[in-house]
Amino acid sequence: MSHAEHHVSSIKMLSIVFGGLVFLTVTTVLTAQIDLGAFNVPLAMTIAVIKASLVIVIFMALKWDNKVNAVIFGLGLLFVAVFISFVLFDTLYRGDMSSTTKGTVQDEVIRNEALQSREPDPSSLQPVHTP
Amino acid sequence: MANAHSDHPAHLQHHFVSSEQQFDAAKMGMWLFLVTEILLFSGMFVAYIVYRTWHPEVFVKSSELLDPVMGGINTIVLLASSFTVALGIHFAQKDNKKGLVINLVLTFLFALTFLVVKYFEYTAKFEHGVFPGAAFDPHGVSHGVDYATYNIQYARQFFSIYFVMTGIHGFHVLVGMGLFTWITIKAVKGQFSSAYYTPVENCGLYWHLVDIIWIFLFPLLYLI
Repeated sequence: MSHAEHHVSSIKMLSIVFGGLVFLTVTTVLTAQIDLGAFNVPLAMTIAVIKASLVIVIFMALKWDNKVNAVIFGLGLLFVAVFISFVLFDTLYRGDMSSTTKGTVQDEVIRNEALQSREPDPSSLQPVHTP
Repeated sequence: MANAHSDHPAHLQHHFVSSEQQFDAAKMGMWLFLVTEILLFSGMFVAYIVYRTWHPEVFVKSSELLDPVMGGINTIVLLASSFTVALGIHFAQKDNKKGLVINLVLTFLFALTFLVVKYFEYTAKFEHGVFPGAAFDPHGVSHGVDYATYNIQYARQFFSIYFVMTGIHGFHVLVGMGLFTWITIKAVKGQFSSAYYTPVENCGLYWHLVDIIWIFLFPLLYLI
């Protein structure tokens, strides 16, 4: 009944990883207080990806696990990437073509309400085509 | 056939060839479940990304209302709970029952701490009319913050996303607490050993995923 083939993570390594995760958390809180312009979002996301990778590879022991589990997880990430990118192909490029309008449903509602409440110009109420 | 169970360990189901095969099958099933969990949350992350790309300034302004110290403490609490789960599995593999039970109890307490902090965060928001959806009506002043200045267009969408994402994440924390209660009882009864600790391993994997979701929620909602 020996399970010698199962990887046993040492307490020392788990502790080092935990220390690293706490350090990265403090780092991301502190760097977020500084205005880095366009770099705030990529920096925070890079730190989050490093932290998540540490948890997956070491705490979840995917590094030593049966490779099929890594494939399953990788496929999951692939589908998330497809989900995000294909939605953005739509939402980022609305209004680039003449048949569509830029903005959200809420924008449309606000625009319609503004049009509804506007006092009509008397000249526009005249018939356009006179016989 | 005096006793069909005498020739194999109690934990081994009849439809598996070996403990090893049973362990691998259970763990692979867990990873498949985790992928469905990732896809569940990815729908909400996509909502966040779409609204953020449309109104980035609203998200930057609205995130000021969330306290990075509270969120940071909760991040470290969850990371600590992931650490104790990993330690628990380590002790289960070493046949150390006491170490396993202590770490499972610690994990439960960290999860409880997380939800208590979240409760205080939610109630502080509700007091000032920061609700999800149509009830969103920020008002009042506390700690020098005038909530009414945050009643800007599309701020409602940020806070709806905030409450739904942290709410569903919080529900997962609650489920985790139930799971840890269950496996702590089993551990106290001495049902786990280096030969069989599959429930500890799989609850650990679930718990790490809950931690990973929070690792992304924290900067997205509180920091940037």
